[in-house]
Amino acid sequence: MDAEKDNANPTIINPSDLPSRRREAPTKKQPRIFDSLAPAYPSLADPLSSPEASDSDSEEEAREEIDEQEVYDLISTISDPEHPLSLGSLGVVTLDDIAIKGPTSPRSRIIIGLGVKVRLLNCLPPRFRIDVRIKEGTSNTADEVNKQLGDKERVAAAMENRNLINVVNTMLATCE
Amino acid sequence: MPSITSLATFTPSCNARAWLTSPHPHLPIVATACSDKTVRIYSTQNFQQQSTISGGHKRSIRSCAWRPNSVGESVLATGSFDASAGIWRRWEDGAGKGKANAEIDFTSGLAGGDADKDDEDEDEWKFAVILDGHDSEIKSLAFSPTSPLLATCSRDKSVWIWEELDEDNFETVAVLQDHEGDVKCVAWHPGEELLASASYDDNVRLWREDVDDWACCTLLTGHGGTVWWVEFEGTEMVAKIGGGDVASEEQKALVQQREKAGSRLVSCSDDQSIRVWRKVPKENPDGTPQQRLPSIWKNSNFEEEWVEEARLPSVHERPVLAVSWSRKTGRVASTGSDGKIAVYEERWTGSAANGDVAMGDAPSSDGSAHNGSDAEKQAITEWVVLAEIDNAHDVFEVNHVVWAPRADKGKVHDEEEVLISTGDDGEVRLSIRTQRRWAKQIAHESKTNSASLLAKEVVDSMCKKRRRPYRTADQKAKDNTQSTTKGNRTVLLAQTGWR
Repeated sequence: MDAEKDNANPTIINPSDLPSRRREAPTKKQPRIFDSLAPAYPSLADPLSSPEASDSDSEEEAREEIDEQEVYDLISTISDPEHPLSLGSLGVVTLDDIAIKGPTSPRSRIIIGLGVKVRLLNCLPPRFRIDVRIKEGTSNTADEVNKQLGDKERVAAAMENRNLINVVNTMLATCE
Repeated sequence: MPSITSLATFTPSCNARAWLTSPHPHLPIVATACSDKTVRIYSTQNFQQQSTISGGHKRSIRSCAWRPNSVGESVLATGSFDASAGIWRRWEDGAGKGKANAEIDFTSGLAGGDADKDDEDEDEWKFAVILDGHDSEIKSLAFSPTSPLLATCSRDKSVWIWEELDEDNFETVAVLQDHEGDVKCVAWHPGEELLASASYDDNVRLWREDVDDWACCTLLTGHGGTVWWVEFEGTEMVAKIGGGDVASEEQKALVQQREKAGSRLVSCSDDQSIRVWRKVPKENPDGTPQQRLPSIWKNSNFEEEWVEEARLPSVHERPVLAVSWSRKTGRVASTGSDGKIAVYEERWTGSAANGDVAMGDAPSSDGSAHNGSDAEKQAITEWVVLAEIDNAHDVFEVNHVVWAPRADKGKVHDEEEVLISTGDDGEVRLSIRTQRRWAKQIAHESKTNSASLLAKEVVDSMCKKRRRPYRTADQKAKDNTQSTTKGNRTVLLAQTGWR
């Protein structure tokens, strides 16, 4: 376990080079010529748009859309439990596949998985089911870790364990 | 297809995840194990909370179970993530006549009052014993219906059997450590001292007492993931197959085989399947079958053979967390992480009642339609989905479902049953299976509709109020969107959204 425990020289990515939706926002905001012709869907924040008023066709659009970028944004700022850096800047989390890979020990892997799961459980609406799995081929303990992370009873019990709560809270402290 | 309709939500509900609800063996109340370290006792007559049990556990209460055959007194066992089990007692209303129970305070009464802030009333539940022994979270516990035994199981991979020697004096009679992972569920056979356990190691084990020691007599393998729940078939329902009378020789033979085998076992798993297991009765040395009566076999050797007899139709798209096998109808209900509840029934293959037809509680009988080919014995019956509901707890996962006798004023007959489901939203809901014409009429209820509304005329008046005049199948799916208030903002949630 010790041999695998740590990568002394992880590739560090400058946080400002990491992908993020926020920097893209301004370009997306630029009004396009036909925007005014497009029908406006009721905004979630709009207190006047009651659910009753929306007919079934617009319900799909009115739902908050969540994509890989959002998941990435939610979890990339989590701190690695063994490095003073975020998962994003360590390259542990990449936008391409939202997969978790080295440089971590097996125990760390499960704690990172737990941190990711807790972060997503806390941030995403309850209609989402969160399946956190280790990317295939990156760990020989993947099945075991995946099974633990998929067990809602174990995750619930872990979140009542003071030590684990502290570790996860420390990891999530760097998130907004 | 007939539908399942949510009739009421018990109030007030827990603000955190609720794990399991256990119906009282004879009173119209249920106990709900909550992650806020309490057990809430609700009435199935008016859907209101009667009392709360709190203060005994340091972590989530994962499971609770009523002791059967406790006359005049209710005894509840609680199993917690704090690794301990608690035994709680309360005298039943109007009971205790002729009993010496000077210390018990009757003044608070059983009727319960305004449940919101009755912390003061709660001393009516007496914390009697704490059972320590497990190394980690207790996941499930169950009282034996035939002997003074309590089984508990834990993440520490063990099953413990406790014997109640006399009141509040429990002794450990067995610590069973054959499982290789968390033990998720324990369940007793309804008529024998036979215990089943389900585990994170994907297996089910059956345990009996052999001379003086409890030991594993059967290992059931096959599930491709954690087995979350096991339950035996009610003794009265053995060999009762729906959809018609026993007519053909084949059917008679199957009934005989079932009677010999006795109660079957149902299990459900992370692999999304629900399986039925049957005992293979041993033959006498001369090759003739043993006597038919299921209750009297004595095995010369200890090990038993059980086989997977059937798989229920695939309905769930996420782990199946609980199943309940009705002792009154033989129907199985299931629920799980996908938020669905489904009800299944075993029928003679080819019986006219099969398929998507409207049906009452007594299926039409036409057992003779069976075609008589010499297919395998198991193929002459099949499990069909009788009814299902998506998003039984809105967008939340449903952790548990159980059949219970109906007790509210909408009850039509004495044998009527309801489904009680327990969800991650902290809610406990009561549902009934409705016939097709009702299913079309009854709009899925919002949380604000509780209690009352059970009689047909109330249902009719509801129909006038519902938003959409008529729901076709695809409208129904879209229909499920509703608004839910969470925190300070109102969010529009599509119930079908997680897919």
